[in-house]
Amino acid sequence: MIIINFVVSVLLIFLGLYCVCTRKNFIKIVMGLGIVDYGVNLFIVSVGFNDGGTAPIYALSDLTNGAASHFFVDPVPQALTLTSIVIGACVQAMALSFVIMLYKRYQTINADEIRGLHG
Amino acid sequence: MIVLTTILQILIFPGFLFASFIGLLLAGIDRKVLARMQHRIGPPIIQPMYDFFKLCGKETIVPAAANRHVYMLAPWASLCSLIVMCLFIPVGGLTFFSGNADLIIIIYLLTIPAVCLIIGGSSSGSPYAAVGISREMVTMIAYELPLIIVFLAIARVVGRGELVFSIKTVAEYQIANGALVSHIALIPAAIAFLLIIPAEVGTQPFDTAEAETEICEGPLVEYSGKPLALFKLNSSLKMFIMSALFTTLFIGVVYTGNVIADVVIFVAICCLVTIICMTLVHAVTARLKIEHLFKFYWTVVAGIALVSLILVWAGL
Amino acid sequence: MMYAHFPVIAVMGLFLGAFLVEIFGTKNKYIRNTIVMIFVLLAAVLTFALIKPVMVNGEIITYWMGSWEPVEGWAIGIGYEVDALGLFFGLFCAATFVLSAIYSFRYMDSDDHLGHYYTLFLMLCGGVLGLVFTGDLFNMFIMVEIITFASAALAAFRNYKFGALEAGFKYLVIGSVGSSMILFGVALIYLQTHTLNIAQIGNEMAGNLTPVTILALGLLIMGFSVKAFIFPFHTPVVDSYATAPAPISMMFSGTVNKIGVLGLIRVLYQMFRVMDKEAMQMTLVVIGMATMFIAVTCALAQHRLKRLLAYHSISQVGYVIMAIGLATPLGVTGGLFHAMNHTVFKGLLFLCAGAVFYAAGTTNMDKLGGLSKKMPLTCACFIVGAFAISGIPPFNGFASKWMIYLAAYNKGMETGNFLYIAATIVAVVTSVMTLASFIKVTQTVFFGQLKATNDYIRDVPLSMRIPMWIGSALCIFLGVGYNFVNKTILNPAMNAAFSAERYFDVMMGDPAAASAGTNYTINLSVWNPILWLVLFAIVFAAVAIAIITTKKTVGKVMLSGSDNQDPDGKYAVFFSGERSQYSHVVGSDMFWGFRKNFSKYFDVFHKFHNGNVNDYATYCVVGGIIITIIVFIFVR
Repeated sequence: MIIINFVVSVLLIFLGLYCVCTRKNFIKIVMGLGIVDYGVNLFIVSVGFNDGGTAPIYALSDLTNGAASHFFVDPVPQALTLTSIVIGACVQAMALSFVIMLYKRYQTINADEIRGLHG
Repeated sequence: MIVLTTILQILIFPGFLFASFIGLLLAGIDRKVLARMQHRIGPPIIQPMYDFFKLCGKETIVPAAANRHVYMLAPWASLCSLIVMCLFIPVGGLTFFSGNADLIIIIYLLTIPAVCLIIGGSSSGSPYAAVGISREMVTMIAYELPLIIVFLAIARVVGRGELVFSIKTVAEYQIANGALVSHIALIPAAIAFLLIIPAEVGTQPFDTAEAETEICEGPLVEYSGKPLALFKLNSSLKMFIMSALFTTLFIGVVYTGNVIADVVIFVAICCLVTIICMTLVHAVTARLKIEHLFKFYWTVVAGIALVSLILVWAGL
Repeated sequence: MMYAHFPVIAVMGLFLGAFLVEIFGTKNKYIRNTIVMIFVLLAAVLTFALIKPVMVNGEIITYWMGSWEPVEGWAIGIGYEVDALGLFFGLFCAATFVLSAIYSFRYMDSDDHLGHYYTLFLMLCGGVLGLVFTGDLFNMFIMVEIITFASAALAAFRNYKFGALEAGFKYLVIGSVGSSMILFGVALIYLQTHTLNIAQIGNEMAGNLTPVTILALGLLIMGFSVKAFIFPFHTPVVDSYATAPAPISMMFSGTVNKIGVLGLIRVLYQMFRVMDKEAMQMTLVVIGMATMFIAVTCALAQHRLKRLLAYHSISQVGYVIMAIGLATPLGVTGGLFHAMNHTVFKGLLFLCAGAVFYAAGTTNMDKLGGLSKKMPLTCACFIVGAFAISGIPPFNGFASKWMIYLAAYNKGMETGNFLYIAATIVAVVTSVMTLASFIKVTQTVFFGQLKATNDYIRDVPLSMRIPMWIGSALCIFLGVGYNFVNKTILNPAMNAAFSAERYFDVMMGDPAAASAGTNYTINLSVWNPILWLVLFAIVFAAVAIAIITTKKTVGKVMLSGSDNQDPDGKYAVFFSGERSQYSHVVGSDMFWGFRKNFSKYFDVFHKFHNGNVNDYATYCVVGGIIITIIVFIFVR
């Protein structure tokens, strides 16, 4: 439970959303999506933190011995973060491939000019 | 046995034969009174019946650009829904089919004839028909809003705090408490309903969809022979049904003990309602443009009905 | 308990099929079609086989992945939990998969890269079915992401079409924002409860909501609203339903936005259990009303067929959200029934639009007309779908809209709140405007006069017609037999939505607790069957007589210059005595009275949907902030 991590991650999320909402270049919009993802990932990985804990790598026999001195951080958020990093990478890859094809098609990647479907 | 009784009810009373007879009679009375108001003599009162039989004998020409199956089916579907609606209306105090949600069923059933007219007109392939159905659809959107507000107001008053939608309950409430028109809060609703009736039936000044002079009778331009006869019959049936609805909902049923006398008094009140809200308005006004019609219904008539709903809600 | 494995096999089968298509099916058409058909049918059969244990016997099937059973009342594995609510959604989603697959075999025949198409298609199916069956919150998020990817790629599949790439990109951006918010909400819930199992979260959080969980509630509602595409999150969808190929549009409008609805039900009814608060109900009803009305009025101004159908999709989902927001048994039943009916009739409509596109090469309504003479069966199916969506008896739209109206004014009566009465009025008026829109489409596309350049059009092949027939038959069957449907599948689903307390015991290993749920029943008496049977006989007899006794017409379509078959012009259309011309009143010319009166309103919404990605994202973010603020103020 690190407060500074939570504050920074919320700031990153808002920064990313601001970027998506106001920047005209498509690549900058994709970057904004990426920043939102990083902010959320930072938040998830800080959720499981226990101050003074060690890395959660144990053998089952160590844990079931009943020794009370094992104090480790929560492994579940770390698994969630790994999955989320992969998903974020895939989203950015797909979005960037869209941008490439849009540039080939329209010779511009400005959001104000690519708005053929409206109304 | 039930099936036989049901068939008799559907076909004779108060179904097809009775309703069409009274409907055509009302249409004839409407034309005669209108003629007298316009200082002419006018056709005989049974002229619409002559027209109906004449049209049945004419040749039916289906245009080449028309979709034949929809073209022939549309007037029949419309007639069937109108007959079903007749069975819901207590004529002379006799109710035949009553559930607990009659008024909402009636709203639905009232849209079916208009939809059938639209689909029939659309399938005939004529551009006049296309303009006509576009106007008919806008008219329908226009009068649905005040209609549902009026029914909600009535249902609230009759249910005394709950919403009750059964016409039988409305009839019983009126026998017990006097006609609904006598409630101050429901007078605006009655006025709104009287204004909705001409738009539903399609008489002036709200018959923009079937303007004879502008678009050659709109959806019916390519109809001839038996289908046209059926559409004219549907129009007369609608006249009967709308005035009967008004009588049932707002004026109530007058019981004299004799069934025949009840029915005759009922029909007489329907005639009176027809003359007031259709003939009188027809004689003194001209046809409205479609955008004015829409604005009129969604501002003036809906406003009147809303006044009624708010008064009812506030407990008056 | 053989059937405990069925959900997993169905979902994993679909993903395995996607993998196999990518390996084996890129070159050979028959291998590919066979693989797709096998796995889609397998999923459908397994899902339908689950009706008996879950719906009839009332069990809840739990399946722990990798056999990680819960320890001391704490869930440590990923659990699949199939209850009546999830199975209800799974049933019609599985049926949609089958119909969409059959339709796309022929429809997509002339495209390239079909191996990739079917891979993405099977991934989409697997994602949808996985989300429906899962009982784990993070698994839900993963499935949402799979659906977003596959949908964005499929929306832009025909990338040579105008606007396809743009639509796919917008879908990806907005969808990604939504799912990031879901993930943030999931993380906040984990922070509070240290578990990811939905049943356990519900058990821990019900009744004691801290500010952290309230923030999570707001974010989850926003995220699932983005997936359900309700106002103001609906903007990218209008484009992508239009540019996607028709069977994919059927999948989108039939399954993907129902996922959002299911997500909302799970979040509100089962995890947080906040639906008994008046403020929450009113919020959902207001959102539903806004969605309904705005979408249907914007639809009246469209002149592209699939864009119009997309707006109607959004409007009907507004009905579902409003009905679910009422939180009464009748309301939830109506909402669920309308969700199923919407999948059926909207799928049918999109398939008909696809058939028109396949036959005529365009969906611009201003260029079509008179197609009912060339494609009569498609026209009949389209009319069935149009009447179903407008709520005309005896089709299924009537039955479910009826339930929604009844529920809304009953609720208005119970609480005395005028908002619910206003909701009823808005719902009825929206229904009439939906009818107007479809009359416009029918007149413009199917009736009227045929252009001479469109004379080559033939009706679509059989394998594309079969799903349309099945869809029409379902429309009629669901409308007439709604009591049967209610007893078998709707009632268990509705009770499952209300009785969330028993899930925890079932998940933790006590299956007998499944039967201790709420047992609401609803009573609907709309139809008198004898009356309708007699009437039907009369109509049938009369129509037969009428058709037999009319004169035959000249069968060909006649345009100017073809006087040799009809020298008198007797069978030509009346033109006030002028020479017969081509003059077809099209969609853009209709409803003048309505459009003139609403012209300022249409201007506002024309500017609202301006096609700019930044603006769409802004609407999303602002909508999310408002929802979160409302949730914070009113939900304590």
